[in-house]
Amino acid sequence: MTPATIDRHDPAEAGVTASTVPALLDIRDLTLDLADGTRLLHGISLSVATGETVGLVGESGSGKSLTARTVLGLLPEGAATTGTVRLAGADVLAAGGAQLRQLRRRGAGMIFQDPRAGINPMRTIGDHLTEALRLAEGWSADAARARAIELLEAVRLPRPEDHLRQYPHEFSGGMLQRVMIAGALTTSPRLLVCDEPTTALDVTTQAEIIGVLTEQRASRGMGMLFITHDLNLAASLCDRVYVMSGGQVVEQGRAHDVLRDPQADYTRRLVAATPTLAGAAPGDVSHSVGGPAGHAGARHPLDVVSARASGAAPGDGGVDAGGRAVPMLQATAVSKTYLRRGKEPVRAVIDASVEVPRGGALGVVGESGSGKSTLARMIVGLEGADTGDIRIDGRERTSVPRGRVERIAHARSVQMVFQDPYLSLDPRITAGRAIEDALRLHARVGSGEARTRVLSLLEQVGLGEKHAAARPRTLSGGQRQRVAIARALAIEPDVLVMDEATSALDVSVQAQVLDLVDRIRRERGLTVLFISHDLAVVRRVCEQTVVMRRGEIVERGDTAALLAAPQHDYTRLLIDSVPKPGWDAAAAGAEVEAAGAGADGDGMVDGADLESEESAVEEARIEASGQAR
Amino acid sequence: MIPTSSPRAPGASRAPGRVGPPPTLAVTVRRAPRLPRTTVSLAIALGVVAAMTLAAIFAPFLAPYDPDAVDFAAVNAGPSAAHWLGTDGLGRDTLSRLIFGARTALLGPLLVVVASTALGILLGLVAGWRGGWIDAVLGRVFDVLFAFPSLLIAIMAVALFGKGLVAPVIAMSISYAPFVARLTRSLVAAERNRPYVAAYRVQGFGGAWIALRRVLPNITPIVGAQSTLNFGYVLAELAGLSFLGLGVQPPTADWGAMINEAQAGLIGGHFLPAIVPAVAVVVVVVAVNIIGEELSDRIGGETPA
Repeated sequence: MTPATIDRHDPAEAGVTASTVPALLDIRDLTLDLADGTRLLHGISLSVATGETVGLVGESGSGKSLTARTVLGLLPEGAATTGTVRLAGADVLAAGGAQLRQLRRRGAGMIFQDPRAGINPMRTIGDHLTEALRLAEGWSADAARARAIELLEAVRLPRPEDHLRQYPHEFSGGMLQRVMIAGALTTSPRLLVCDEPTTALDVTTQAEIIGVLTEQRASRGMGMLFITHDLNLAASLCDRVYVMSGGQVVEQGRAHDVLRDPQADYTRRLVAATPTLAGAAPGDVSHSVGGPAGHAGARHPLDVVSARASGAAPGDGGVDAGGRAVPMLQATAVSKTYLRRGKEPVRAVIDASVEVPRGGALGVVGESGSGKSTLARMIVGLEGADTGDIRIDGRERTSVPRGRVERIAHARSVQMVFQDPYLSLDPRITAGRAIEDALRLHARVGSGEARTRVLSLLEQVGLGEKHAAARPRTLSGGQRQRVAIARALAIEPDVLVMDEATSALDVSVQAQVLDLVDRIRRERGLTVLFISHDLAVVRRVCEQTVVMRRGEIVERGDTAALLAAPQHDYTRLLIDSVPKPGWDAAAAGAEVEAAGAGADGDGMVDGADLESEESAVEEARIEASGQAR
Repeated sequence: MIPTSSPRAPGASRAPGRVGPPPTLAVTVRRAPRLPRTTVSLAIALGVVAAMTLAAIFAPFLAPYDPDAVDFAAVNAGPSAAHWLGTDGLGRDTLSRLIFGARTALLGPLLVVVASTALGILLGLVAGWRGGWIDAVLGRVFDVLFAFPSLLIAIMAVALFGKGLVAPVIAMSISYAPFVARLTRSLVAAERNRPYVAAYRVQGFGGAWIALRRVLPNITPIVGAQSTLNFGYVLAELAGLSFLGLGVQPPTADWGAMINEAQAGLIGGHFLPAIVPAVAVVVVVVAVNIIGEELSDRIGGETPA
């Protein structure tokens, strides 16, 4: 497991960096051992030149964040390193306290994944932006304030002067990430280290943030080291990429070469596992094509009014069983409003109608706060709908089940796989036991038979006997999600709802889970409702897709057609925001920047609204559940 | 109650692992390899509690004298070969009374911890799981109970049930239950909104089953560790009640009562009969607190999966 790094330096470029100035950041043969002797980095070498954007790509545990943090001298406690990390000529690893602080101030700024975790919630934005200048650089309060305003303008926040007095909780995630970028720029660093800065954000917000980052990098001539797990994002943004796996750089070179024509096995697998929007070649598919499941697909992308009308028509679904096939899942004009004490009520879902034919897969796409999760929770019976009607296989499943008989009937109709497998499995219960519990609740089987069925279910999801005795803590994310799927299958439901079921997983693991879902659908004819923010994943799984925004379904149709020829502005914005490799578009940077700029004024306010709406829904839901039970 | 079971392997190995090769030149001064301090203090604390437990169980065999045997020939005697810790004002052997006193010192807090934990978990589970008005009502009930000094409840209990061990145990159980209940309530309320609970609901399990069979076992270790800490406080408070004459009655040997009885001797300069039980109370309370905190640390660090 020590493949020589495949180095694909452009000879001309290599000549330039080698002969002229030393690189801005130069990491040579960096190894890092934890205090207990575990080696996490095995000889990393990478460089970033001034004005260059370098991607560091890898999955969780590959050591990419660890590598990036060494640039600022942030090491795990008691870690031992060898090799050198040179930032603007200074050796970071050998630097003592004062010199290290100097490097952190002037040399490199860092932007972290979760902006909310990196800012003091009790201080104003102004405090955050000016304290480094006032305390470390000795600027006057006025000068620091002027500088802060200038920076907030630079990251395109609409009202810099007002923002200085605001607190972090008044900001959405995207706005706060802009503040963090401004914070990292206060001391004019020469290198910007971005550690998954957009992973926690919606795709449209991501496009805006990337726009701001590229703009600032260009105007300040900084180098940028961009850490991400998203190959498409790296491809759209970076000049060169390093691919990391297991604490090693397995491949490096120009982004185009590495991602278009990967040489290392690992990179090849990673590229193959990454779902893309591509393949939906325009002109090839028109929206008149019915798609695999004719009747729903033939329907055009609809505006809300006609969606409501068409939803109402087949409302008495059970009756026309003789006439045409009853859809397996049919939700008709479903609405849910959360009432909040002393605040505006939140309309989480507004007159949404969805239909999934037997054996079909419907994608529900939307950003956070769009109501897609609330829709899922109503379908699985965790929430009651205010109005509307939900039927599964013709049976009424609208209300929250009461009593044992109803609960079991509802559970047999629909099961759900949750977003985060780290939270949706009981930490104390072994995988085998979790599945066995579900089995024994629904089928009165003896313990011997239950054991064999548990094992066969585990085998179906690609796990084995040894996993049956494992607690969730000892399983990886992908294994946990397989257990969750096996647990859902144990009940043999008519419909499986997957709520962002792969978004917490690494790409290669996600690909495995998606393959598994494919196989189960083929083998069992399972009907799937697939909820996701990721258009590429939906494209991979679903024949039909609906797009939700602020509780309303704004567009629906055959997935390929919808992606190729979106009718609604919002769908178009979503598709445009998905990062695409630079060589696919005419000019990569320009396009991303344009998207960011175009969506800026209006889009940003939207982002804030959506986010506050999302937290409002969550808050209202918790409040309501407290009163209900 | 004695937590020798499963000290987590990583926890045990983590600390010694720090004493590895010095990572940088900056840290050259290294202490000689030794057991971490927490392990040493935990071992001593466990030893104290074990010794006390053994003393309580085997008191008749360990004690050199009958604890109630009066010997007027040796009143307020100092330490000697015959009486290692001397005698009290009635000539009773202090060591023997100390050993027999371990019985009530152990039994009382044990009963209180068990009863208050059971009661508190029950109320906390109901409040946290059901939420709504039940939660609000129970919350106010706890507030009122917190407002009553435990001494007042104890005096009321003595009035109702008469003197002896029963009344203080009931009083202490009632005054400690709200602590347990409030902790349980907050844990359950947090747990209730976890996705794994929603997953159980979607699978068709009923609310009562989820609460009792799945959520309760998940929070019990944390509550249990907290209750262990209560043990020490209860022991001290019970000794206080005995000292005031509200608890165990003479001539039964009890540490609190022993201090009370030794008051007369203090004026005459005979400190030992008062100091010995007082020291015993302090040592045991400290030992129990060490164990309780260690348990809380280990369990608390484990629960977020």
